[in-house]
Amino acid sequence: MAYLVALVLAIGFGVPIAVLSGALGQGKAASSALEGIARQPEAAGKIQTAMIIGLALIESLVIYALLISLILLFVGIPSASKLIETVVK
Amino acid sequence: MHEGGNPLEHPTWLRFLVTTEGHKGLLPSWVPEMVPVTWLVILLLCVTVFVASRKLRVRAPGRFQLALEFIVTALEGFVRNIVGDREAKFLTPIIGATFIFILCCSLIGLIPGFISPTANTGTTVALALMAFLLVQYVAISRQGPVNYIRHFLGEPIWMAPLMLPIHLVGELARPLSLSIRLFGNIFGEETVIAVMVLIATSILGKLFWVPIQFPMMLFAIFGSLVQSLVFSMLVSIYIAVAVAGHAEEHH
Repeated sequence: MAYLVALVLAIGFGVPIAVLSGALGQGKAASSALEGIARQPEAAGKIQTAMIIGLALIESLVIYALLISLILLFVGIPSASKLIETVVK
Repeated sequence: MHEGGNPLEHPTWLRFLVTTEGHKGLLPSWVPEMVPVTWLVILLLCVTVFVASRKLRVRAPGRFQLALEFIVTALEGFVRNIVGDREAKFLTPIIGATFIFILCCSLIGLIPGFISPTANTGTTVALALMAFLLVQYVAISRQGPVNYIRHFLGEPIWMAPLMLPIHLVGELARPLSLSIRLFGNIFGEETVIAVMVLIATSILGKLFWVPIQFPMMLFAIFGSLVQSLVFSMLVSIYIAVAVAGHAEEHH
């Protein structure tokens, strides 16, 4: 039971923190890309391509946090699930 | 819609092929359900390209041929931009095929009755392994094995005990990040769509047919495009870096 509470708290705080930092980073990247396009509209294609790739790379870090939480939720830590089994029995 | 396993999973049109606990299909039981969907994607792509490549004409090309020529030229320009002129001819087929394959694999999950093979770690890890082996092959064949190992040891040769683990970990982290990025994005998109459908059927009651997952499907189309683009571009960048040695190639 305590494991589930701790799990929910960990995921409930961990994923939003990752999302927050990811959003900040992506905002910075997008804003400098927009500034670059505003300065030189003819380079818009290249800047846009580089921006999309930068955003995808930052987003992948956020996805790592989501992946850890998914693993904890659905696959779990083996010793903890055995613990739950013995407690429930 | 039986609650046997994960409520976010659903059978596909190709369920008759695989062997689940319900029924026995043509394939052995260790073949997951996404593998026939991968075969279907490959079959569709091959049939499309085969049909388009009949009766190729130079002077008055048909519309299908023009469309595919546009795609091929765009892919070659994209690869040539990053890798340079020497490797572009060799690399365009495999990187272009990777791009189109990942795109179609990720998009087929949006069609009702199919799942995305890339929403499963099996496909993404296989793709990342393929990319990793490709990068190593190109690096060794262009630079020679001695130069290749020397690039791992770092610039001043006495820094080797420090640089070698760092370079090794960095090299191994690349396929890991490639596979997890692709898997996480496509799986997340599919899961959000499935949860939206779940909400529609359980909360809306009589209005369960309203497609509230439609905006998310539009975003999933965009996301699949971006993810396949990022995968192909990262593989090309890794190859460009490996071929050029320590001098970073910018495009």
